[in-house]
Amino acid sequence: MPGDLPGTPSGDATEDATGEQAGDVRDEVRRAVESVPDPEMPSVTIGMLGMVHALHEDHGSVRVELLPTFAGCPATEMIRRDVEAALHAVDEVTGVEVVFRFSPVWTPERITSEGRERLVEFGIAPPVAPPGSQAGAVGTDAAVTVLPIVSVTEATRGRPCPWCGSTATERDSAFGPTPCRDLWMCTACRQPFEGFKSA
Amino acid sequence: MTTLRAAPGVTIGQALSSPRSRLLLVLGDDDLVTGHRASHWTGVAPAIEMDLAFATIAQDGINHADLWYQLIVGEELAGNDPRVRAAVDAIALGREPQDYLHAILCERPPRDIAFSVARHVVVDHVVATRLDVLTGSSDPAIATLAGKLAWELRYHLQHAVRYLALLAGARPEHRARFTTALEEVVAEAQGMFEPFHGEAEVVAEGILPVSQRGIRARWIERMAPVLGTHDLDHLLDVDTVPDAASGGRMGRHSPDFTEDMWPEMTALYRADPGAVW
Repeated sequence: MPGDLPGTPSGDATEDATGEQAGDVRDEVRRAVESVPDPEMPSVTIGMLGMVHALHEDHGSVRVELLPTFAGCPATEMIRRDVEAALHAVDEVTGVEVVFRFSPVWTPERITSEGRERLVEFGIAPPVAPPGSQAGAVGTDAAVTVLPIVSVTEATRGRPCPWCGSTATERDSAFGPTPCRDLWMCTACRQPFEGFKSA
Repeated sequence: MTTLRAAPGVTIGQALSSPRSRLLLVLGDDDLVTGHRASHWTGVAPAIEMDLAFATIAQDGINHADLWYQLIVGEELAGNDPRVRAAVDAIALGREPQDYLHAILCERPPRDIAFSVARHVVVDHVVATRLDVLTGSSDPAIATLAGKLAWELRYHLQHAVRYLALLAGARPEHRARFTTALEEVVAEAQGMFEPFHGEAEVVAEGILPVSQRGIRARWIERMAPVLGTHDLDHLLDVDTVPDAASGGRMGRHSPDFTEDMWPEMTALYRADPGAVW
């Protein structure tokens, strides 16, 4: 089976973190899959979100293994259709199979540095890196630097505001407009904002 | 024998009466029914944050049920084959009331925020405890899905504990009202740990690594410090299942389900089995 790599997502959020099977598939196939936009955050692609676990191509037949961010995400069927459509537009692709899998579990550190920047531009604060993760080091823009967390309590404050970059922020609610987002308030610029869940 | 309303040609990969299927129905039905009841607050919760929270919790519950049912259908997870969707719909909506195996507590109407928050606190801690157990399942598909859902459930628990603190720490008459609701919920929650047909088999095979009784012990261990923070842990001293809350695991349900929730939830499906939307 082609999708056995890697056992755990890599901690460094680079473009390569989503492409374990480089060489197995043509570049245009990989690009077509990774550039499919998230239906609810169209400035971010599923490649940037780290949802592409594995790709396999065999004589024009492509198998795509995706990791849903949240199991209950209603956008997964749209993503499946969009991936199928994107691949059918690639020359010599004759068959497409899209599979969602829950192992390894998608975690926020799979989001690439570009994905984090795009989230900020979209007004969504990217997730906080778990302790020990390298993701806190990605990005040079102050607004995308993330703080390590050591407890649930700290996860509810200090997420950098996507508007002004301040960390004088507090989580208002664990639930937002979609399963993957929560609600925050910035006490510096007094703006509410959405965050990508870190749990 | 389970009768299933389904579109012509729909088949379920595994008999609904096998021990593994019954475990999956216990898991899925608790999620489906609790989720359906949580959706009541969409648009009418006392705070916008709570409104959004219950809407997401409802969506999570119904989607998590869908994923458990997919494991009964036996296809690859989240299969997009129309036959998989049709079979999952048939399991979710095509059964008679006595073929649902959720606990009676889950089918209770939302009543007020005190009751709904109390149920949210208690049921989500049961579900989280059970998911932790299931990550050790000998069935790889069940263990994998449990790991994913356990990761998500942490958000439910954070929300539940936050509102527990608000209501338990409120003015005396509000705390009293919440305490009364919590006492009733904890008592009825005992019905969640009743045995189901096939439990002995799934435990013996390691599909369910810990018995219902063992899960209850772990739940109490987990629940006690949470309630203890608010001097409410004495409510856990319950050792019987109230008659009114007993029997859900065997398909015996209250009029809250048979006459209220089930007819509404399944109305469209019964009118047009196999409808696609």
